[in-house]
Amino acid sequence: MLRTSLFLISLLLSSVFCLENINEEFEEHLSIKSLRDGRVTSSFSFTTLLRDAIPRDPRTLAFDDDISQHYTLFPLSLGQILRQYAITELHLTLNAGKWNYDTWGYPDEPDVGVGAELRAWMAGDSISSIDERWQGVRNALAGLFCASLGSLDEQRTTSPRLSFPPEGALPDWGLPHELRHASHASEHVCTENLTPFLKLLPCKSLSGLATLLNPHRIFDADWHGIGLHVLWRPEGVEVRLNVQLVSDPLRISAQGKQDWSFHSLFDRKVEKACPVASSTRVSVELPNSGVYRVYPEPQEIKDGKAYYNLKNNNEAWNIGTMWPTDFEYRICHAALSPPDPALVPFSVTRNLLGPTQDRGELSIVLTNNQQDTLQLLYLETMPWIVQFYLHTIRVHSDNVPRDDLVSNISYVLPVPHARPATFESVLTLPGRSTLTFSMDVAKAFLRYTEHPPDAQRGWDLPPAIFTPLNQSLNEPMSLGSRVYTPSLLVDLATPDFSMPYNVIIFTCSVMAFIFGSVFNVLTRKFIVVRLDPPRNQSASRAEKRLENTDSDTSNELNTSKSGVH
Amino acid sequence: MMDAESRFRDPSSLFFQFDTVRRYIIASYWVLIILALPLWWTTTSIERLPLPTSEVYAQAQKRLEIPLAICVDSAFSSQITSLQRSIHDAASYLDVQIHIGQDCSQFPGYAILPGEQILIEDRKLYYPPSADNLASTLASLLAPKMDHRAAQYSPRFRLSFTLLNEDSSAGQVTTSWDIQQAIARHIHPITSALGILHNYTIESQVQYHALLAFEPRSLSNGTVFGLTPEDLTIFINSAEWTLSSSSSNDPVFHFVLFIPSARRRPLIILNSDGTPSSSSAFLIPQWGGIVILNLPPPPPTTLHLDLLDLQSSFSSFSRQLLTLLGFPRLPPSISYSSSHNTSLSSWQIDTLLRQRIHENVIQSHDTLQSTVTLVSQIDGMPVDEQVQSQVQGSLSALHELFTYASVNLTFDEMLAYSAQALTLSSKAFFHPGMLAMLYFPAEHKYAVYTPLFASAMIPLLAAALREIAAWRKERREARAVGDVKEATSGDGPKVDTESVS
Repeated sequence: MLRTSLFLISLLLSSVFCLENINEEFEEHLSIKSLRDGRVTSSFSFTTLLRDAIPRDPRTLAFDDDISQHYTLFPLSLGQILRQYAITELHLTLNAGKWNYDTWGYPDEPDVGVGAELRAWMAGDSISSIDERWQGVRNALAGLFCASLGSLDEQRTTSPRLSFPPEGALPDWGLPHELRHASHASEHVCTENLTPFLKLLPCKSLSGLATLLNPHRIFDADWHGIGLHVLWRPEGVEVRLNVQLVSDPLRISAQGKQDWSFHSLFDRKVEKACPVASSTRVSVELPNSGVYRVYPEPQEIKDGKAYYNLKNNNEAWNIGTMWPTDFEYRICHAALSPPDPALVPFSVTRNLLGPTQDRGELSIVLTNNQQDTLQLLYLETMPWIVQFYLHTIRVHSDNVPRDDLVSNISYVLPVPHARPATFESVLTLPGRSTLTFSMDVAKAFLRYTEHPPDAQRGWDLPPAIFTPLNQSLNEPMSLGSRVYTPSLLVDLATPDFSMPYNVIIFTCSVMAFIFGSVFNVLTRKFIVVRLDPPRNQSASRAEKRLENTDSDTSNELNTSKSGVH
Repeated sequence: MMDAESRFRDPSSLFFQFDTVRRYIIASYWVLIILALPLWWTTTSIERLPLPTSEVYAQAQKRLEIPLAICVDSAFSSQITSLQRSIHDAASYLDVQIHIGQDCSQFPGYAILPGEQILIEDRKLYYPPSADNLASTLASLLAPKMDHRAAQYSPRFRLSFTLLNEDSSAGQVTTSWDIQQAIARHIHPITSALGILHNYTIESQVQYHALLAFEPRSLSNGTVFGLTPEDLTIFINSAEWTLSSSSSNDPVFHFVLFIPSARRRPLIILNSDGTPSSSSAFLIPQWGGIVILNLPPPPPTTLHLDLLDLQSSFSSFSRQLLTLLGFPRLPPSISYSSSHNTSLSSWQIDTLLRQRIHENVIQSHDTLQSTVTLVSQIDGMPVDEQVQSQVQGSLSALHELFTYASVNLTFDEMLAYSAQALTLSSKAFFHPGMLAMLYFPAEHKYAVYTPLFASAMIPLLAAALREIAAWRKERREARAVGDVKEATSGDGPKVDTESVS
């Protein structure tokens, strides 16, 4: 008893998210690259390292939260959330647009799935405690970032086995670590998410590289996304906030030149250095060919990149690149000159086919751009509204059926109204080939209240994720860079939402009609009414007719009726 | 005539055409409807569990009396009655028992002893026997007025310390502070002495860009900057400064150490007449405290604030914390000596405890009363099991407190009971389930039902009315026929047979 309590006390003392005199370091980095289609990608990353800190052991959650948290650079509001829910690793991304791998190559930050994506690694001895904390952290981050992360509920939460290995390390507490992943493709990133994001930075957007984060320009970009990554490495807890955007200088400038500068991309310059950043660096990837000028003169050029250190300089920085000629689209020469080497080893398109509202076909076309055989880890985290028929999986390689190319299928069945499906498998792409994967799907019929407010628009399905498996003989299997497909839009059977009252009225009328008829038959009184034989007819042939009447015995009425006949 | 008879039976001879059968059918419909009414009522009504209304009102009438034993030295025996009266006037919730004629220096409770000067030591008050107004001094010590700047009672407070650099890019930045040592030196003595009242969570952060939302007034040709009392009311720039924490519902006290930009020093607080104030700290009631720290002008571009630099700021913070917690001040005429190294006497802590207990009881009375009044006033308000058990729990905590307060409860237990009563009563009052049905009124229900009920009820009603009318007519005719029978020795059925044949 004493030993366990001593152990727990020592745990309490050691697993404080902040130990005495922690060294906190803040670094900021911006890398800019001109893309093949004339666009420019800028990737900001702001890294805070909390040296020697370790995440909170979830076993201490049972104790009262009496431990102080003292931070100088680390954002306190984030530290509180991480501590309260004992999160080991956390990744949150909010993106808008489709990352065009074929012309832009791999992004600096791999998580470019459209919409909101949240995943967390948590340790815990019971699933219920993990699910409870997962819900808590979702709601806390939703509050912190003003995003609808609360909708990443159990209907969107999955735990894929392979596709998301921890980026950092997981502390060895003798507890299993669990992954929770959820994505919501309809969530749209906007200024209200960027403002709280900037407040987590030590220098906000008032000095340092964050000055460039001008919402007008970020959300005008062709692709933009913000991300938050918390991970633990043995040297400490690292928080990385990143902003990526792909801007189009050809659209901004009227001259058809791909020139860019801080001022043209962000409408701002770096006027002041962030005083607490231990390093402020900008790297510009130099074009492979052609005549261009990078200004100002780089302090260092290494591996095809120009580096600038903005730390100890009090002038305004406006880094840029100029070309003497107009931008020429390479596509014009495709027929004449050999095509450019592919930027990514494979390319992918995913479609949902079929005209009806109850059935469809999920089709994926993968092209291997290399000579070598490629193995891909394929992940679908599909809400239950689209249900797979696994027995209909058809795999063709260059139009030849090849069922042997799909292997290692793991499938978690969806539960209607409760749980999404998780489909994970390995696809093998022979060199220089095109693989077609297709599967029939059923579309669900939703309850009236399950439809979103804009039900006619359809449902956004989360992107599929492909991860190359790098397999070599000597090393264990490692995962390459994730590739996200664009999201899909599925059109489900949608009711006419003005119907319910009409239905009520209509049903009630039918019910009342049936009730009235039955009731009438049951309580109707039949009587025999004799008609007096008319004088011009034979008295013996008195006509007798069965007359049903509602009234009791009104002989006068009946006689008058018979008189008419 | 005869084949007509064989083709058509008289319908009134069919069993389902008997008047009685038809009347049974109509009656059975009505019986079914009447039997179904309670079912319909229970399935569509809102769950409203009974609340112990009368108990709540009875409890609210009660007044808590906290026992307080004072031993008064015989030197003051002449002032006993005035003592008792003045304490009762100041705080009616105290049940004062005065002991006289004992050796008060060994008394376990409060003791008033003769001394050279007015001095408090632990729970003993030394008072010069020659001085008068002992009664008013004692009243102000035992039942001082509650400071309106103090926050409401909560079992846990979050103390958030923030070092704000107004503009760290202006030439000088304070990057670190000896916050843990400063808290250990200045704040921990308070939190541990008042640990009996609240739990505390302490956190701190540093911010490097905390712009003011207004421009401070420039004085003496821009060498001094001043904050007018009006400026202080808008000093907190809550849109830009991330001070609030979203992760818990505990009330937060913010302590802000504000370092003005290097371009705007010194920044001083002005009195309302425009003269510089000697203080550099101010308090926002129930929110927290702010201290402006004017550092010497640059050269050092980065600074670390050590314990010595934080000395004066943190002693201001500790005073502000005491005020926010409602800690009673000693009247200036009374000096204090202590064997322990703390500035908080047991006398004051006890007084605060009693005040908090009293306050909690009053407040839970109010909340419980409001809850039952609200529920009785609004018919559409559901009361579920949770609300019921919370109200009952709060009542039983109050009951325990009232029953045993005068017998054997320690302050600790009394506070725990009163806090429990307060927490449960406010949980019941703010229970989200109580709002559920307010937005689905009965009118909507009827609007949905009417198309069915109205069209089904009309034939039912018509049939019933017609049958009643027929029945009355029959009776009347039967009576008339009977009268005729009496007169003509009865010939009624023959009329029928004649007409048939």
